[in-house]
Amino acid sequence: MSRTDAVTRILFEAFTAAEVRLFYLLGYAAIAVFLYGAYVQIRKYRRGAALKLEGSIPARLGAMFSSVLSHRTIDRRDPAAGGAHRLIFYGFLLLFAGTATITLEYDILEPLFGIRFWHGEFYLVFSLVLDVAGVALIAGLMFMMYRRGWMHLPKLDYARPDRVPGDPDFNRPQYRREDWAFLWILVIIACTGYVLEAARLVWLHARADIWDTRWWSPVGALLAQGMRAMGLGADGAGLLRHGLWWFHGLIALVLIALIPYTKVKHIFTAAASLMVRDPLAAQRLPRVPESQEQAGAAKITDFNWKQLLNLDACTKCGRCHEACPARAVGAPLSPRDVILSLREFAHATLESGAIPAAAELDIHGKAPGQVAMETLWSCRTCMACVEICPVAVEHVPIIVQMRRKLVEEGAMDPLLTKTLQTIHKTGNSFGESKRKRGAWSKGLPFPVKDARKEPVDVLWFVGDYASFEPRNQKVSQVFASLLQEAGVDFGILYDGESNAGNDVRRVGEEGLYEVLATANVNALSGANFKSVVTTDPHSFNTIRNEYPDFGGKYEIEHYTTLAKRLFAEGRLKVTNPLKYRVTFHDPCHLGRFNKGYDAPRELLALLGCELIEMGRCKANSFCCGAGGGRIWVPDPVGAEKPAQNRMKEAAAIAGLEVYVVSCPKDLTMFEDALKTTGNEGKFVVKELIELIREAIPARSTEELPA
Amino acid sequence: MKILVAVKQVAALDEDFSIRDDGRGVDPDFLIRDLNEWDDFSLEEAVKIKEAATEPVEVVVVSVGSDEVDESLRKCLAKGADRAIRVWDSAIEGSDSIAVARVLAATVQREAPDMLFAGVQSSDQSFASTGIATAGFLGWPHAAVVSNLTLAAGTKSAVFRRELEGGLLHEVEIQCPAVLTIQLGINTPRYASLRSIKQASAKPIEVLSLADIALGAADVGEAGSLSRVRRMYVPDMGRAQLIEGSAAQQAARLAEIIREFKGAAA
Repeated sequence: MSRTDAVTRILFEAFTAAEVRLFYLLGYAAIAVFLYGAYVQIRKYRRGAALKLEGSIPARLGAMFSSVLSHRTIDRRDPAAGGAHRLIFYGFLLLFAGTATITLEYDILEPLFGIRFWHGEFYLVFSLVLDVAGVALIAGLMFMMYRRGWMHLPKLDYARPDRVPGDPDFNRPQYRREDWAFLWILVIIACTGYVLEAARLVWLHARADIWDTRWWSPVGALLAQGMRAMGLGADGAGLLRHGLWWFHGLIALVLIALIPYTKVKHIFTAAASLMVRDPLAAQRLPRVPESQEQAGAAKITDFNWKQLLNLDACTKCGRCHEACPARAVGAPLSPRDVILSLREFAHATLESGAIPAAAELDIHGKAPGQVAMETLWSCRTCMACVEICPVAVEHVPIIVQMRRKLVEEGAMDPLLTKTLQTIHKTGNSFGESKRKRGAWSKGLPFPVKDARKEPVDVLWFVGDYASFEPRNQKVSQVFASLLQEAGVDFGILYDGESNAGNDVRRVGEEGLYEVLATANVNALSGANFKSVVTTDPHSFNTIRNEYPDFGGKYEIEHYTTLAKRLFAEGRLKVTNPLKYRVTFHDPCHLGRFNKGYDAPRELLALLGCELIEMGRCKANSFCCGAGGGRIWVPDPVGAEKPAQNRMKEAAAIAGLEVYVVSCPKDLTMFEDALKTTGNEGKFVVKELIELIREAIPARSTEELPA
Repeated sequence: MKILVAVKQVAALDEDFSIRDDGRGVDPDFLIRDLNEWDDFSLEEAVKIKEAATEPVEVVVVSVGSDEVDESLRKCLAKGADRAIRVWDSAIEGSDSIAVARVLAATVQREAPDMLFAGVQSSDQSFASTGIATAGFLGWPHAAVVSNLTLAAGTKSAVFRRELEGGLLHEVEIQCPAVLTIQLGINTPRYASLRSIKQASAKPIEVLSLADIALGAADVGEAGSLSRVRRMYVPDMGRAQLIEGSAAQQAARLAEIIREFKGAAA
């Protein structure tokens, strides 16, 4: 046997039999504590409502591994944290795998089958790999410590916008302690590992197979050289090794035992959460089963097991906190704190042997763990939180399900109550007569086909704002004339159309949504058309993603893709290139919800505009504040509105001429914000449709609506 | 304890309405039906009493009208009424508020409640007489335009407040059974979610005929009425006016006009 063949991992050398037995005992105890904790957690999730997942398990596993191994979701908008986490993740994974393989050989393969592989070159290479992994782990941990301790990132500040200083759960200092304890325990495990390795080398330096191959453990060897240079002898090193062995071993066992009880559990919960991720979580809200007595979530057990798992997956990274438009303007909402409150609530109520009485499971209110209605109503369901969450927490359906319960109780702003009643009565949020829905088309020099009466190629679902709001009616007229000039055979449903219901559903008025969706699906099925187009991203989202649940499957597109095609086919031609310097606001429901980022930008390029992006664009676009029914509820007086916050961002672009939107609600919100932020006269807010019109002057001005 | 709440499904004008051929009303095609706004408040007041009570309180809504009214009754059931009664017979068509009050009084006698609530008035006819006329037929004590009410289930009297001219408040004690007409703003009516309305469709709506309440065709309709609508029309009126004067005067006049219009719409 050559010298390197003999070399192997020194395990229990110089241990008494009693010591080894003690270690095994402690090891089993740690595993037992871990298993019990895991059982309690799984029992907690199982106490949630049932949910049947769609999609195959292999596909879900594939998606999960792809996210976890690539760290794609952690890198987003914070590549430094992503990189450091990657070092920790792979470092930890390799070191754990190393330890696990030793167990595999020592406790299973060798005693049962006499198989040994943990020696010779395999051992040496692995020991090099593990030494490097340890460096990676420590480097990652150091950066995370620096980040927590010195970078002062607002997203890592646990102060809550829905609490005031002095409240027992205002900034949760126990989280901070846990964060640091987690970092320190890993640092200590890694560092003692190296010192232990060095002490072992010094202790056994007389054995050539060990000492001569020491550079396969470069960090340990370096430390060993140092120890020897400082005069540490074999006996002293043996003593040090013995003591450190126990220290290192015990602390590692403690970490394993504590996994299910601490934030360390994210190792499992985050991966599981990614595995059960719903790619349409916010786009397609869950239906309320007919048989369900009560709509929405009143008790913690009204959430399904996946949502309870979501709560535990949160790592408090604060990305949703940072992205939330309500939080940004000081509203009492942070998506992070909704999740953490509910997590604390589930922890307090669902982890003991018996589930407490229903009254103690009420998640609505102001006590620690409960969520206040002011918090729930602050949400604009813009999906910024869901979109950025690295561990697939789905905040929006949780918030909407809680709102459903508030709606049942009527616990909402009186203006919202009024609007819902109006929509029920008239089918639109403006309280206008149903008959007037198509009235905007009367100003056109040509009749718009009634799709209920004659077949059309393209059915235009107009939506409330584009139908009734005067400023948007003008845009609708322009779009109609563009379609007409491009020779598109189109029509509208006139008073057969109702409010699409997207925002009604996001308010939480599921019953009214069902009425509206059913009415529209019936109206659409009575018409003869090939595809649907809409200028309203809200209608677009619900028709595209939610109407299929009501039996309405249509080919639908937002006008930006239709317009792009009309240009590509030469049916629309730019004759008057615009030289504007513009910026584009991605509507939530077109961009984040439905990934329609490109068509509007390609159109702007076609029109000859110079597009300067805002910092928050595309997936990170900043909500105008109108979503989730908030357009029907005035924002608090004096406080900044999301649209104003956005206008300030746009105003910082030097030489900006046009702030381009492609959503009727955006036009309303931002034209208002332009004035209230004092930017009127500096630049203008325009619908992309209006820019297209400008680039294609109508054949004669008489043809244009006034 | 039993509280009866008389409700009415009112009609609101749609855009571009037209007058019926006989010239005495609006073409029903142009009417949007909904529960009378005042009745939201009187129902809420009854449901609040029920919810605060330790003894059982039954809240029964009653309306006079065809099956079109069921939709509004279901809304009342969703908001917490226990039962709904609808009285109808084609002979009732054309009744004025007095004839309707006669029907309501007969229904009250059948139900024998401890209290009858009604709205101060209906938003479409604005006679403000149905509730009080019902009290007249019953011979019960009554009060109109109640803006605050203290009534505990099981007690034999109620204390209520009414707002008088000049900022005066009138606090009155009244013996039960009595008829109170309830003013807007006495409470905050709850929202009936569509889901609760749907679920309320499981609750029964009892339909009574004239025979059930011991009335005949002569007691209702035009025969049983004390008044008759001669015609309904839109008066000729100039829609435009030029406001003259200084900017401040113009603004003041404009504000006045806006207030007038808002007042007219309410």
